[in-house]
Amino acid sequence: MKLLGRWSQGIDNLREYERIAGFWQIARRALANNAFDGVLTMVGVVMGQWIGGVESAATVILTGIATSISIGISGLWGAYLAESAERGRELAELEKISLTDLGETKIGRASRVAVVVVSLVDGLSPLASSLIVLTPFFFAALIGDIIVSYVISMALALVCLFGLGMFLGHISGRSLIGYGIRTAIAGVVAIVITRLLPTN
Amino acid sequence: MAESMGNLRRLVLDVLKPLDPSIVELVQFLAEQRGVDGVNISIYEIDRRVENAKVTVEGHDLRYQEIVSVIEENGGSVHSIDEVAAGKVLIEDVETSQD
Repeated sequence: MKLLGRWSQGIDNLREYERIAGFWQIARRALANNAFDGVLTMVGVVMGQWIGGVESAATVILTGIATSISIGISGLWGAYLAESAERGRELAELEKISLTDLGETKIGRASRVAVVVVSLVDGLSPLASSLIVLTPFFFAALIGDIIVSYVISMALALVCLFGLGMFLGHISGRSLIGYGIRTAIAGVVAIVITRLLPTN
Repeated sequence: MAESMGNLRRLVLDVLKPLDPSIVELVQFLAEQRGVDGVNISIYEIDRRVENAKVTVEGHDLRYQEIVSVIEENGGSVHSIDEVAAGKVLIEDVETSQD
């Protein structure tokens, strides 16, 4: 009961910080953008190994996870640095106008929470989305033929992209299917172009 | 100095505060404080990021420090105390021939 109370207090605080610092919109944009990046990067990694003739699921997984970690860190670090610089400047400007140290006020806390939330979303969204594309290779032993894993992986990538498109369609209040198709086409283009690369 | 001595009943403060949290939120936070019967906030000057507000708090046995803490916690700073009233009854400012 105490834990539930704390949880609900935490949610209330987060809502209040969101009202003050307005980070939800930025986080939502980061989620869509970076998940999109994550899926397409993994399409490149997986397709590269497919046309390169890699038949070991372990190799695909290792390369894939290493790439996922890198994109995750890239998102986290980049967003943290950019967001903290931007928020720090805003807070300093407000402190200068109001001649008050706002660091320990709700405004200061909201600003710090905004940095953490946006950084986490920026880092975790490409990490999670790229790992989804890799999942068929974890079941390669069950699936049997590695080519089937490659095909399922690419199909999953397209489904993810379609889902992301629907999410964007939902945000914009427009056609879910229309947006889904538009984002999925990006995946198809990436797959087709990498498939056309010369192989040895 | 004990906060509760003298039965503080009215406080009028000149406050500079950021636009967010809004006065709608601030007025409710203040109204929740001990001893507060009612709060009024009126804005008399507005800038791009901050606004000047007249905060009027009335009640019984008001806790000045707690009220100021709520304002500061929400990013505001008290520039001046423009009016105070304390005691058994609420005395209004009396007009004299000098006025």
